[in-house]
Amino acid sequence: MLEVRQLRAGYGAINVLWDVSLGFPQGELTAIVGPNGAGKTTLFRALMGLIPHQGEIRLDGRALKAKTWDLLEAGLVMVPEGRMVFKDMSVEENLSLGAYPRRCRNARARNLERVYDLFPRLRERHRQLAGSLSGGEAQMVAMGRGMMSEPRILLIDEPSLGLAPVIVKEVFSIIRRLKSEGVTIALIEQNTHIALSVADHVHLMRSGKLLMSQKADKVDLERLHDLYLARETGAASF
Amino acid sequence: MLELLQQSLFSGLLVGSVYALVALGIALTFGAMKIINLAHGELVLLAAYMAYVIESRTGWNPYAAIPLAFAVTGIVSVVIYLLIERIREHRELNSLILTFAIGIILTNAILLVFASDVRSTGSPFLQDAVSFGSVYAMKGEITAFIISLAVMAGLWWWLKHSWYGRAVRAVSSNRDAAKLMGIDPRRVELAAFIVAGILASVAGVALYTMSVVQPALGPGLTIKAFIVTVLAGVGSIPGVFCAALLLGVTEAMTVTLASSALQELVGMVLFLLVLFFMPNGLFGARTRRG
Repeated sequence: MLEVRQLRAGYGAINVLWDVSLGFPQGELTAIVGPNGAGKTTLFRALMGLIPHQGEIRLDGRALKAKTWDLLEAGLVMVPEGRMVFKDMSVEENLSLGAYPRRCRNARARNLERVYDLFPRLRERHRQLAGSLSGGEAQMVAMGRGMMSEPRILLIDEPSLGLAPVIVKEVFSIIRRLKSEGVTIALIEQNTHIALSVADHVHLMRSGKLLMSQKADKVDLERLHDLYLARETGAASF
Repeated sequence: MLELLQQSLFSGLLVGSVYALVALGIALTFGAMKIINLAHGELVLLAAYMAYVIESRTGWNPYAAIPLAFAVTGIVSVVIYLLIERIREHRELNSLILTFAIGIILTNAILLVFASDVRSTGSPFLQDAVSFGSVYAMKGEITAFIISLAVMAGLWWWLKHSWYGRAVRAVSSNRDAAKLMGIDPRRVELAAFIVAGILASVAGVALYTMSVVQPALGPGLTIKAFIVTVLAGVGSIPGVFCAALLLGVTEAMTVTLASSALQELVGMVLFLLVLFFMPNGLFGARTRRG
């Protein structure tokens, strides 16, 4: 279980996260929803050690090291917003880089097969430059690359961004499958409906704070939407 | 006349392979760190003088100097990296000033130690001429060409198949994404500088065996390498190789058809033409988009 306590993080003088505390239970899918600028991506960036933070981040009760490469060795893997594929490298080279952490280098060939089985389209296009792929295919590369890192906890940031609905469906069926394989997943999503369809837990974020945390099957949708749109006076922060 | 042209085409190709090695060193550190090492030409020159030292002291073939040359260029290259790494603000710009200054210091150090005399190999083997049909070359030039090709093949393999090489390409391509793969960019940068040192050491020794060296050669080498990099447009090894051969041939043709006084100028003209008409470089148009 990954736990975050009193997390503060931001960019230079600008603080974005204000004492965020939440947990990501083992083997479950935790969704973080909220409008643009809520601090969701900042939370993930702080978790991955890409930006400095204050507060505690613990994995199974132990404090995590701060460097991104140490976190990857510990099993934290992120599929970033906007895919961030290596555009001038082939699909297969992109996937291979996912196997960079020492603990998964030996399993590269096996994991590559597994990713190709999940995404047959990538097998067809394994020699193609990643920069020439469609948005959906690039998202598959980004997810496949994440799987190559053998994640214990997979952080997925806005996988539906800019994708056609039919592709979004495909992406989420893969997320469901990963979950069924026991991977702990943290998911950022602006689309509340699709997030709720896969999530065990939902957290709503606004203005760098968690405003609501509920089990996905007992979520109070009306309240969630009110908070999301800041219709409740308590949520208006400025 | 035709034979003269064939000869300059051939000589240009041979010298171009060494330009390619110099350019790949600059391209490698530029890719990994987005800085231009203006002292890279002086690194090459330093290696050339190590070849001179070994040849003049021991009488061995200059290529025996590669380990010594690499030890020296490797150390200087790492020192340059450590200095650049300390720049906190505006690294792209300030590194230009820093590496330019290091280049001046190295040029003067070479001048101090080796005096301003022109040096070249005295090896009878390397200076021996061989003919290929109607064109001639020194064995030194042929050796340099073959060794340059071999080093480029080695570099290609390293970038494609070793974890460090893949990491260099990943950092060059997308630094943030590379971090998310568990790559430590600073170690990759250091590796890039060490490999650039290896390339410079081979290029320097090769240069010594096929041409004459003198202490003021450094900036000219850096400029040639820079022209090649811009001509190529992309960091791909075949692209850099072709652009370097093009520059070598253009220079050789200029010397044959016009005057050796224009040799440096024609590279600059080529550079400007490419910037005006193909700003992405000769081979860059396809891969640079969006």
